[in-house]
Amino acid sequence: MTTLPQSAEVIVVGGGIVGLSVALALAEAGAKPLLLEAKSFGGAVTGGSLAAIGTHMHGLAEYGVMAHACDLWRAFAERTGNPFEHTAQGQVGFILDAEGMESGEGWVAEERALGAPCRMLTPAGLAEVEPRLTGPVLGATFAPDTATVNPFLAARTVLAEARAAGAVALDHAPVAGLLVEAGRIAGVCMADGAEIRAGQVVLASGPWSQEISVSAGVCLPLVPRQAQCLAALRQPPGTIRRIVSAVESRGGVASGYTQIQQAGSGQILFNTVVDFIETPPEAKDTVREVPSGFVLTSIDTLATLFPSLAEIPLLRSWVRFEAVSPDARFLAGAVGPEGLWVCAGDNGSGYCRSLMLGRFLAGEIIGAALLPGALQADARALYAPQRFTQVAA
Amino acid sequence: MSAAHLSCDVAVVGAGPAGLAAARAAAEAGARVVCLDAFATPGGQYAMQPTQAESPFAATAPVALGRAAARAAGEAGAQILCGAEVFWGACVPGGFCLSVNHAGRALAVEAKALVVAAGAMERPLPFPGWTLPGVIGAGAAQRLLKTGTGALPLPGKTVLAGSGPFLLAVAQSFAKAGQRLDHFVEMQRPLPADVAKVFARHPGKLAEAARLGLDLRRSGAARHVGHMVTRALGTDRLEAVEIAPLSASGQPVMGRAREIDGVGTLAIGYGFQPVIDLTTALDAAHDFHAALGGWHCRADADGRTTVAGLWAAGETLGIGGAVPAQLSGRIAGAGAARTLGFSAPDVTGATQALGNARAFASALAQLYPPPQGLPVALPEDELICRCEDVTAGDIATAIAEGAHESFAVKTWTRAGMGPCQGRICGAGIAAALAQAGVPADKASYNRAHLPLRPVPLPLVRAAMQAQTEMETRP
Repeated sequence: MTTLPQSAEVIVVGGGIVGLSVALALAEAGAKPLLLEAKSFGGAVTGGSLAAIGTHMHGLAEYGVMAHACDLWRAFAERTGNPFEHTAQGQVGFILDAEGMESGEGWVAEERALGAPCRMLTPAGLAEVEPRLTGPVLGATFAPDTATVNPFLAARTVLAEARAAGAVALDHAPVAGLLVEAGRIAGVCMADGAEIRAGQVVLASGPWSQEISVSAGVCLPLVPRQAQCLAALRQPPGTIRRIVSAVESRGGVASGYTQIQQAGSGQILFNTVVDFIETPPEAKDTVREVPSGFVLTSIDTLATLFPSLAEIPLLRSWVRFEAVSPDARFLAGAVGPEGLWVCAGDNGSGYCRSLMLGRFLAGEIIGAALLPGALQADARALYAPQRFTQVAA
Repeated sequence: MSAAHLSCDVAVVGAGPAGLAAARAAAEAGARVVCLDAFATPGGQYAMQPTQAESPFAATAPVALGRAAARAAGEAGAQILCGAEVFWGACVPGGFCLSVNHAGRALAVEAKALVVAAGAMERPLPFPGWTLPGVIGAGAAQRLLKTGTGALPLPGKTVLAGSGPFLLAVAQSFAKAGQRLDHFVEMQRPLPADVAKVFARHPGKLAEAARLGLDLRRSGAARHVGHMVTRALGTDRLEAVEIAPLSASGQPVMGRAREIDGVGTLAIGYGFQPVIDLTTALDAAHDFHAALGGWHCRADADGRTTVAGLWAAGETLGIGGAVPAQLSGRIAGAGAARTLGFSAPDVTGATQALGNARAFASALAQLYPPPQGLPVALPEDELICRCEDVTAGDIATAIAEGAHESFAVKTWTRAGMGPCQGRICGAGIAAALAQAGVPADKASYNRAHLPLRPVPLPLVRAAMQAQTEMETRP
């Protein structure tokens, strides 16, 4: 294991896809980031992500930055020779009832008005797009440009590119707290008591960001939310062609969701949450197994939509914890004492935003606009951590 | 489909020497006991029951032991269910819920206490050519010899290789089954003085050891002690095996390598590893000892794990063989019953005997230390994970780039994410990490998750329905 340096220009705490993306953007901008990961790179929510890259059903306010985020992933895949299986397979939002139809039509109309290529599908149209989805659906939304990446390989590629650009990234280097001197950030304190000095620190540790920030007198409005997934044994290629998701109701993810897709390996990944379950804060460090009720709803939804897959063998399952803010948008920007930054609050779809947020935040830190046109200002308005403190005041 | 339901005081997972002893002890104390085993008959690996009436193994001591242990457990009132694969276990209010694939039907077993005696599995270490058809585990060879017709399915010469006293037992099975053994390749060359010291301390073991040695000599196999297999050769299937003597530092001397041609079967084993899927899934603490086969479940002298109500026995606690397995089974079974309020017999004698039996196992493990790194350097394109086609090169690169624990190697390369769930590649990945300088305690282990083995969705659903009911009833 590499010995820890005594100081760094900028420290990024957290080696998930968000922290890695911040480190990459900082390194490319000429800063010399030091990234510290408590366990293994991409081993927490990043590795458990279904890593959809798209704008569909993500809300209109974020549409512009999200579209750019998708462009960044496309360009990154091109530049690196796409070793992380970036595939634009498209996304189907299945509709089971009249309420879902209203929701789906609403999303499609609004996104099309902004220039998105999404459209509605009739059951007959859906049969062409997703032939084995033969369950009782009334129709579907279709976003042909939504992509997926292999979450592990994408994190690995961002790590490799960040290092090539000059970032130092260390795993199994847990940060326990922040050093604050004379009202500004002075570095981090490691779990073993060692100190690393730095003028700038970025918290990109998902649901763990909150407890690290406490040592700087900051209370980030982030709570962990349990997320889980099941994987069934490899099926022939093309068994499921698109990302198949429930049309999100206007209640957001918290009112339930479904995502089903076939991974590059051929395994079928599927998860359905029907009722929102409160996640106790300590769960992120203690709960490691999928709840039985989740297994039931996930199997039932898969069997309803894809009756031909109803008896395939289950192979794997996993639990991860994502960070959620009160309005389900990221916190990205300066927070608390001078020199402290945060980039967390993925709300379960951080993969798509990560490269964009990395560039945005690196720009804020070095004082340059790394997102094109008005997007840097848009992102600042969307993700400002102060939006909650202002509401409180 | 809805799950069948069984309720008991003590559930025992595994019907080998440890599980049967645990089932018997708990049942004799008055507990209602259900003992589950994935195989078609009780006995486990050591006391495996032959499937043919005229089997030459029918009259052997281990077979008799298995039969007697199963009968005794049954007579004490334990219900033994074979063909019952436990694919999940969870803590529920008042105890545990086991999800079982019982011959294709879902079964939920509710138990106040749980004894895991899941046994051992092979510890396959990759070497060049190890994926060729015809290369099998030493334990697999023993199963083929002891069950069915007792013949190995492939024609050609037979080579038994690897390390450890278990190889001698397999050689004996070759002779018993009437299957010719052509070559015997043992990596270690224990000093006669060290061997003498072990048996001076455990004289009761001398007769059995002498018999094993004699049977090997009588088999007529060419013996290559202090040698190892450096390559399996062939195009579509195994054709030849390359062996080389080891230098004083334990490295193969390739200048003195030789080829054995016309080989149909290479049975190779570098020892066993404890089966810890269920105990890791239930979140019990585990420890690493190379001499005990690597990661094993932690338990106190009574077999009590770090999870309330969860007990462990036999090889799940570390590789030691049938004698400590039986003793630890009896101790854990009695302990589990006693904790539930039954008056289990005193097991002080068994506890003392267990100490002695473990001391012998540990002395043997020192004579035959299981290799921790890769036995031979692997070419970049050699497969380590055959389910997901992950090569030695992929794994070495991942480790070099920052995958510094078993979990990270799995997520970065997919090694272990396929149908075998890491059972075949796990030891090889640990060896690759050890080779790269990551010690076993840092490399850690991949805990098991739902399901412990691939199971059809309708069975999972039925079992999870039963688990949900146990979790939520008033």
